[in-house]
Amino acid sequence: MELEINEFCSCLELPLSTVERWIRQGRIPVKKIGDRCLFSDTALRKWAQEHNLPYCPPDEQTAKKQAEKPESLSEAVGRGGIYYDLPGKTVEEVLGEAVSAMKDIESESDRQTLYETLVAREQMMSTGIGNGVAIPHPRTPLTQSSIAPQIAVCFLAKPVDFNAVDKKPVYVLFVLVASNSKQHLQLLSRLSYCLRDTTFLNFLSRIPPPETLIKKIIEFESHLNGGE
Amino acid sequence: MDDRLLLIAFGAVVGVCSGLAAVALYYGLVFMVEHLSVLREHWWVFVLPGIGMAVSSLFLEKVVREGAGHGVPEVVYSVSRHGGLLRLRSSFSRLISNCLTIGSGGSAGPEAPVIISGASIGSNIAKLFSLNERQRITLVGCGSAGALSAIFNAPVAGMVFTIEIIMGEWSAANVVPIAVASVAGAQITRLLRAPEVSFTHLSFNVDLTSTLASVGLAVVTAAVSIIFARALRYSHHFSDKIPLPVWIRAFIGGCLVGAIGLMLPGVLGEGYHSIGKMVEGAFAGGLGLMVLLVAAKILATALTLGWGGSGGIFAPCLVIGSFAGLMYHRFIDLLWPGLSWVNEGCYALLGMAGLISGTMHAPLTGIFLIVDITGRYDTILPLILVSALSTTICHVFEPASFYLRDLIEKGQYLKPRTDAKVLADMSISELVEKDCRTVPRNMLLGDFVKVVQQSHRDYFPVVDENTGEFQGMIHLNDIRPYLFDSVMYETVFLEQIMKINVETVDIHDELSDVLDRMDANGLFSMPVVSSNRFVGMISKATLLDRYRNELIVQTQH
Repeated sequence: MELEINEFCSCLELPLSTVERWIRQGRIPVKKIGDRCLFSDTALRKWAQEHNLPYCPPDEQTAKKQAEKPESLSEAVGRGGIYYDLPGKTVEEVLGEAVSAMKDIESESDRQTLYETLVAREQMMSTGIGNGVAIPHPRTPLTQSSIAPQIAVCFLAKPVDFNAVDKKPVYVLFVLVASNSKQHLQLLSRLSYCLRDTTFLNFLSRIPPPETLIKKIIEFESHLNGGE
Repeated sequence: MDDRLLLIAFGAVVGVCSGLAAVALYYGLVFMVEHLSVLREHWWVFVLPGIGMAVSSLFLEKVVREGAGHGVPEVVYSVSRHGGLLRLRSSFSRLISNCLTIGSGGSAGPEAPVIISGASIGSNIAKLFSLNERQRITLVGCGSAGALSAIFNAPVAGMVFTIEIIMGEWSAANVVPIAVASVAGAQITRLLRAPEVSFTHLSFNVDLTSTLASVGLAVVTAAVSIIFARALRYSHHFSDKIPLPVWIRAFIGGCLVGAIGLMLPGVLGEGYHSIGKMVEGAFAGGLGLMVLLVAAKILATALTLGWGGSGGIFAPCLVIGSFAGLMYHRFIDLLWPGLSWVNEGCYALLGMAGLISGTMHAPLTGIFLIVDITGRYDTILPLILVSALSTTICHVFEPASFYLRDLIEKGQYLKPRTDAKVLADMSISELVEKDCRTVPRNMLLGDFVKVVQQSHRDYFPVVDENTGEFQGMIHLNDIRPYLFDSVMYETVFLEQIMKINVETVDIHDELSDVLDRMDANGLFSMPVVSSNRFVGMISKATLLDRYRNELIVQTQH
């Protein structure tokens, strides 16, 4: 495989001027065809290794970039699903109902662990953030389980006392599951951006159908992405 | 084609070309001396070196427009700062000017001009075939080695001198092509002319007393070397202060040299003839005359080179060295007349090695030059003794080689694989981090907090929103106390918080100066500002990262 000079620069994560100087000084193995420089991928990989330089070829770079892409709230909600009229009178009951309603969990043991960690977190301190909303989540990300990062939106049949900060009964749960802390924080931060907004809260209290809810989330997320 | 084979092939070509340049200069000098020797009887002959030097300096200044340097420092400078880039005209300009200087009687050496010619030939061949800098530097070395070995028929000395003085490092990739070029240069000389400085027919019996006595010679040659180096420099500085055109200065200097030559003709020219006589033991004259000759040759060379003549100090070193050797021999003969000393020619040879080692700080060049021109190892023990001691003593008084001293004083000599070289190779523009977000000076603190939220840097350059000019810097620490104070959000503008008069770096600054300033002010990063525009940040962390890359890339071939 042969690379152009700008591709090679990004492989080495060095500025073009440095690489051009190295070529001029004869420190990099390069094939010259007229004014164009061609680099062979294998020769360069060897050279970079000999000289202790980090070398990251283009395909690995795109993979890396994808990994760095922030989690999308709407996709997470899409994976988690939106559920209505969940029964239950206590925190444990509604959490149990929510976990068993979640569609994207394959094994029964995963479901059990999730339930236990959610309850444990609630016992430590309520996740009711006020205005009738709670965000139940495991205290530490579930790295062991095979549950994909997701948010399940669960509207309750009757508001439940969640011991929330403003003492108001909770009518909607956003069950947040992530496989690492970074994902967890990203999703939580995006979610809290929406839940801080009074228009979003008013919209939520009207218990919207799934399509409109997803649409609203996408709309809010675009504000976030646009700001970056 | 393999890099090493390519360099060896080019090395041979460059060696042959620089050998030819050396032979050309030799025949030029022979021609000049033959045609000018008829004038020797006239009383006004002393103006001859003056005319020669004036024409030579005019030629260098006006025709080819090159400084009247000695040649070797220019080559070293180009190798250490410009990747061995030399002008094509350097390949002949100094040959002509040197021919005029020496041919008319000026006291200087033809080696430096030949070396710069050879080096320039190497550099331009590399340019012609668009070789890279590393290869070009090797070919510059090949040119210098080929030239020096051609002029003395001394292949080992040519190679060693190049590596000791020009390249400043031994590396397998360099040594082989340089050795090939050296051999090629010497072979050209052997084919085309009889070498002048060759004493292969002589043999020397060096006994223990003579070896021990050579320690004394080392002290003498060291002293003479120091005087010689200082005289050259003083003469140069003195002539610089004279408010006269260059060619008039050169004329005056030349006439003074000619006047010395009227009384002591041995000091004129490059002096190979006198060397031959001295080594063969055919030089008449007592101790007093020898002391006078040493002084006169030093003076004549200082006048020639300092006042605008063109040439090197290699041959004068040899002449002064052999005068000094003879002087020392006469002296110990006077002191202990009963002892049997080795013949005076041997001391002349040792004196040459001592002077080369002392003046140029090149002990190996001194040793191998003598071995090369005598073709035998008879004198090797006292040779090593004299060379090593002479260099060591001189090092105390003159910290650097005469060739490099000016470059070091100007900070232009960079030994390969050193901190200075690594820093000099990298430029600010390669290190500047451009992911800093600029903020306008009229921004409110509240808006700025939002910018901070989305940025991943701690530094924020403040610019004027109309002109785009750099105003000052804000660090995250500067706003920390007001970060959660919502009253201040709407009342404070950034220009009230920003630090003004911050230390800035220009994009063209030398990296070593920037580092010094960071150290002096206890900074870890500085804004790069070019013509009042913010360009980016330069930080020690990135610098260390890149410095290490650079060091590894430079030291491992």
